[in-house]
Amino acid sequence: MFSKSDEQLIAKAIAGNKKAWFGLISRHEKAIYNYGVRMTGNCDDAKDLMQEIFVSVYRNLASYQGKGAFKGWLFKIAHYRCIEFYRRKKPHVSLDDAPEVDANVDSLSPEIELQCERAQSDLMNAMQQLPVNQRAVVELKFFGQFTFEEIADQLGVSANTAKSRLYTALGKLRTVLEVEYV
Amino acid sequence: MSEQHKAQLFAAWLNDDLSAEQQVQFERYCIEDKDFAQRVEQATQITMLAENSHDLPVPDWNKDASFEHSPPVRWWQSQGLSAASFACSLFAIMLVVSGFNINVSNGRVSMGFGEQISEQQINELVQQKIDDYQQTNQAMFAQYVDAIQSQQQQSGAQLTEYLLTSSRTERREDFAELIKFINEQRSDDQVFYARQLNNLQQEIYAQNGLRSSIPAMGPTDAQLPNE
Repeated sequence: MFSKSDEQLIAKAIAGNKKAWFGLISRHEKAIYNYGVRMTGNCDDAKDLMQEIFVSVYRNLASYQGKGAFKGWLFKIAHYRCIEFYRRKKPHVSLDDAPEVDANVDSLSPEIELQCERAQSDLMNAMQQLPVNQRAVVELKFFGQFTFEEIADQLGVSANTAKSRLYTALGKLRTVLEVEYV
Repeated sequence: MSEQHKAQLFAAWLNDDLSAEQQVQFERYCIEDKDFAQRVEQATQITMLAENSHDLPVPDWNKDASFEHSPPVRWWQSQGLSAASFACSLFAIMLVVSGFNINVSNGRVSMGFGEQISEQQINELVQQKIDDYQQTNQAMFAQYVDAIQSQQQQSGAQLTEYLLTSSRTERREDFAELIKFINEQRSDDQVFYARQLNNLQQEIYAQNGLRSSIPAMGPTDAQLPNE
């Protein structure tokens, strides 16, 4: 009832209010961390990625003009940081190419396997075998609950491209999951 | 039907935004297109999984590192101020170099570049200079005239006084010489008359032989003044 809006916290954080900034972080850190886990498949990488994302968000906080939801703007930055993170980790792999993963070996870290249910960890494992661009659309659509227009804005592509990527990604996910279940 | 169209239809279904016609098409694909139907099933499973899955707890991380707030820059410390001062300096230099001037005359302000002085302004300036020169000369001449007049008055007065003084002295001297001359003349006359009288006396006594009875006179007495 008395919780402040994101915009109020942003204004205070820009003015140097550390408490407001931490309030904003606590409101969104779980979503960002789990986004990082599903995008990287690794808790440590997700933690590093989350750190980079929030550093970048604070640096660019003044440029947030309140157009659209803060969450969308936050995930737009998260996507850019994730792309940079992915290019540092795998500089020779295109964003549209599937990473070279042994299908018989889990690409998830053991911590995730322990903390997640089987179906969830299987899905996350299958997502790691998608190209980053397709993985991002699956993540944002099903876990982020964004519309295709919002996803297109965050990824810097057209809405039709986002729809095609999701359609293609689902086909590949089905194949991967079928292989895993066999 | 192309994959693109299927993707559009699939997206519309995900958004729960199917029209009646699309709904028919969608159901037909689900029945006829196994691949399409499996994707729909896959999407349904992922949606349910996403809704029912629990998020992983966030580990401790260095939140302080993300707070990179620096105190706001004061207005006098901002780069804008130095840039503004540089721009002002540049503007001032351009005004000086280009000869920018502002004239206010008869309630009208005119601005221009370059020293463009009209012929009328030149004539006015020359006329003003001439008037000033004339006024200065007239004042100077008046001073000269006053000085000459006063000097002439002083000279006249001195000359007059000199002439009066010198004529009085000369006349006094002339009168003194005249009186002296008259007195000498009278003295000479007296001596002459005395000698004449003496001569006359001697002649008288000589004629009468009584010369010896005449008291002797001193040599000075016997000598005539003119001898």
